[in-house]
Amino acid sequence: MEITVLNKMKTDTLILSGISRSFGGLKAVDDVSVEFPPGRITGLIGPNGAGKTTLFNIISGFIRPDKGEIWWQGEKLSKYPPWTIAMKGIGRLFQDVRVFKKITAIENVLLGKSNPGECPVNLLFNSKNVIARYREDIERAREWLAFVGLKEKENVLAENLSYGQQKLLAIARLLMADSKVLLLDEPTAGINPSLIKDLILMIKKIAESGRTVIFIEHNMNIVLEIAHWVYFLNEGRIVAFGRPEDVLGNHEVRLTYLGL
Amino acid sequence: MILQFLANGLIAGAIFSLMGLGIGLVYNTTKVLHIAYASIFVSGAYALYFFLKVLHFSLFFSIVLAILIAMILNILIEVFVYKPCYLRKTSSAIPLISSIGTYVVLTNLIALIFGNETKIVTSGIEKSFQFGSVILTRIQIIQFAAFLLLFTLYLILLKRTKFGKLIRAFANNPELLSMCGVEVLNLRILIFGLSGIFAGVASCLVALDIGIDPYAGMSILLVALVSLIVGGVGIFESAVFGGFLIGIIQNLVVWKISARWQDCITFLILILFLLLRPQGILGIKKRMEEL
Amino acid sequence: MNYILHIIVMIFIYGILALSLNLLIGYGGLISVCHAAFYGIGAYTTTLLMMNFNMNFFLALIVGVLLTSAMSLFIAYPSLRLKGDYFFLASLGFQIIIFAILYNWVNLTKGPYGIPGIPRPHVFGLALESEFFFFLFCGVIFFLIFLISKVLYNSPFGRVLKAIREDEIAAEALGKDVPAIKIWAFAISAGIAAIAGAMYAVYVSYIDPTSFTLDESIFILSIVLIGGSGNLKGPLIGVVFMIVLPEILRFLRIPDTVAPNVRQIIYGLALIILMKYRVQGILGDYSFE
Repeated sequence: MEITVLNKMKTDTLILSGISRSFGGLKAVDDVSVEFPPGRITGLIGPNGAGKTTLFNIISGFIRPDKGEIWWQGEKLSKYPPWTIAMKGIGRLFQDVRVFKKITAIENVLLGKSNPGECPVNLLFNSKNVIARYREDIERAREWLAFVGLKEKENVLAENLSYGQQKLLAIARLLMADSKVLLLDEPTAGINPSLIKDLILMIKKIAESGRTVIFIEHNMNIVLEIAHWVYFLNEGRIVAFGRPEDVLGNHEVRLTYLGL
Repeated sequence: MILQFLANGLIAGAIFSLMGLGIGLVYNTTKVLHIAYASIFVSGAYALYFFLKVLHFSLFFSIVLAILIAMILNILIEVFVYKPCYLRKTSSAIPLISSIGTYVVLTNLIALIFGNETKIVTSGIEKSFQFGSVILTRIQIIQFAAFLLLFTLYLILLKRTKFGKLIRAFANNPELLSMCGVEVLNLRILIFGLSGIFAGVASCLVALDIGIDPYAGMSILLVALVSLIVGGVGIFESAVFGGFLIGIIQNLVVWKISARWQDCITFLILILFLLLRPQGILGIKKRMEEL
Repeated sequence: MNYILHIIVMIFIYGILALSLNLLIGYGGLISVCHAAFYGIGAYTTTLLMMNFNMNFFLALIVGVLLTSAMSLFIAYPSLRLKGDYFFLASLGFQIIIFAILYNWVNLTKGPYGIPGIPRPHVFGLALESEFFFFLFCGVIFFLIFLISKVLYNSPFGRVLKAIREDEIAAEALGKDVPAIKIWAFAISAGIAAIAGAMYAVYVSYIDPTSFTLDESIFILSIVLIGGSGNLKGPLIGVVFMIVLPEILRFLRIPDTVAPNVRQIIYGLALIILMKYRVQGILGDYSFE
């Protein structure tokens, strides 16, 4: 897939171009070229070990691609460390949630956003600004906690929340980060069905606000319900793509993945 | 002149290598940084002193008993300090801290019982021999010979016996072995016993040469650790390579610069290796673990 | 009376050391045995500036803090690359190297001969020769450091450190520049230890390298591990335990020749027992599991 010069200009479409990555002799990601425009919810599906999480790790900056490039807002991302990529607006929800268990829910959410007080120099010389920003951040954090339905759990240690609540907390944290692109790795796994409905609504709202959502999912019902577009990965390669109904109706997909 | 320093370096290297083999054996298999090994060294030396100078046993018996004591003490530390950590599957910080605590307790117990001053174990002037331009004392030759003997036996053990196979398997793939449950605990005891023997032999050799004080163990252990890292973690024999290298470098520093800066140079080498070549000279570079 | 003041001054000095090491252990989860090196660099820098250049104590102190913080880069950088045991060995190496420099660079530090006659600082024109006024002075400094620690602990910086100690990857994914923050933690930790060093130097008016050995690093480490890390009360209870203990031994009529060894045996045992039954120490928040 040729990416035109136009696409590389300052655009809010996340573009992966010819991404490849091997571990030892194993090709985990094989020449993947995809685009994620704003407002679109894209599903990444495929069997286990197909390279979906690896792709996320490459986008987030935890792994360097062997070949290929990632374009975001006119810049190549692969040269940056993970924190810089996160600050550029790419947020990540991990498969194993990864909230900070020993601090409270609101402290978790506060960590979503960078605060000048995180640099000791500012604590000393810029304390008024730090305190003012802190007050703003607390308000925003409370809003996001309320948005995900965790308002009363504000001062609860994250380890005392249920798995599903921890996931919601992680999402609130991502929202606090104001990410333009959200990489959600199995967002509905381990969540009880009543909560899933709310989660789906949340994801739709996030996309409606003009953000890009990319999610890895094994539950095909969810994919059918919220994805605008789907990429099917197998053995590191994009084997099929298109609207969910089309991809899931695809013969090869049904064979390798759904076992039908 | 340089030959004398090289010779001294080889002799020193023999002792560093013995301790390096001992600490390396434990680290490669159990992954425990056995800081308390320093007090095992001291225990062996003071045991020798006690049996030889206080109870007036024969030299042979005193040495044998001293090595036995070092061996048993090492095993006791495994049973009471490290085994519980292994069974609880703790992070590596906990056995390390417990090891430091054990070192403090044992070293000070010995200082309590025997006093803080250096104890001399032999009396009289050592016989010395001349080889060309190099002069070596009798004990120095014995040190090197003992090292050669022990190292050869160790190599045979590692490559030719079932025990050796188990040790190497333990180092490479502990999970596979642990599926046999109890066997691993017994294997650990044997490993610590063998490691104790190395310390016992080294401590007797040093005590018979220059005497012993309660704090000598840490000095030697530190160099043994550098030898291990420089030689290469993961390969059982590599500490010998590191030990001799450090022994020679230390003596070159004494010759060319000054004895005062031995430690500084030794540990600068350690830091350089940790940063630039953590696998040591003989080690293989491990692949970075992926997320 | 002077005796009790002495005990409390030592509690202040070691309290500052413990609070500073707490930053590395309770937040970074790093076992470091080079804190005596920072303590020593601070003591020597302040002393040498005061004695050789007639510098005012407070100015010398600031330079000492800045120098020690800068020197901490030599061990902060390895901490980014080395895990657990390997970092421990690097901190061991750093400690030995700094001690070797303090001991052997006789032209600069007077080596084993030490530096006698260190003057007490002048505060508002008063020389703090009286034990009581010096005790107050130490108290004020300790209180300030305690406040700084409290602010740091509750600040966004403290929060990020707590996050990093739990899950570096998640912190990075949230946009936290983890290496930079770790380097800051080292710099602040080393700088505060340097303050303790300066206080110690003017208190005992004589310093030599034997106060800044590996054993001293192990002692400071033990304070934080026994008392507990990750909060403010842990290190402080650790200091009380470790300083008051030997004094209790004195009451029990244990002879002075033997007391240091007995004291060390007790805290060695405390380490072993705590690691077995209470990893977070007496009052700590952070455990190593």
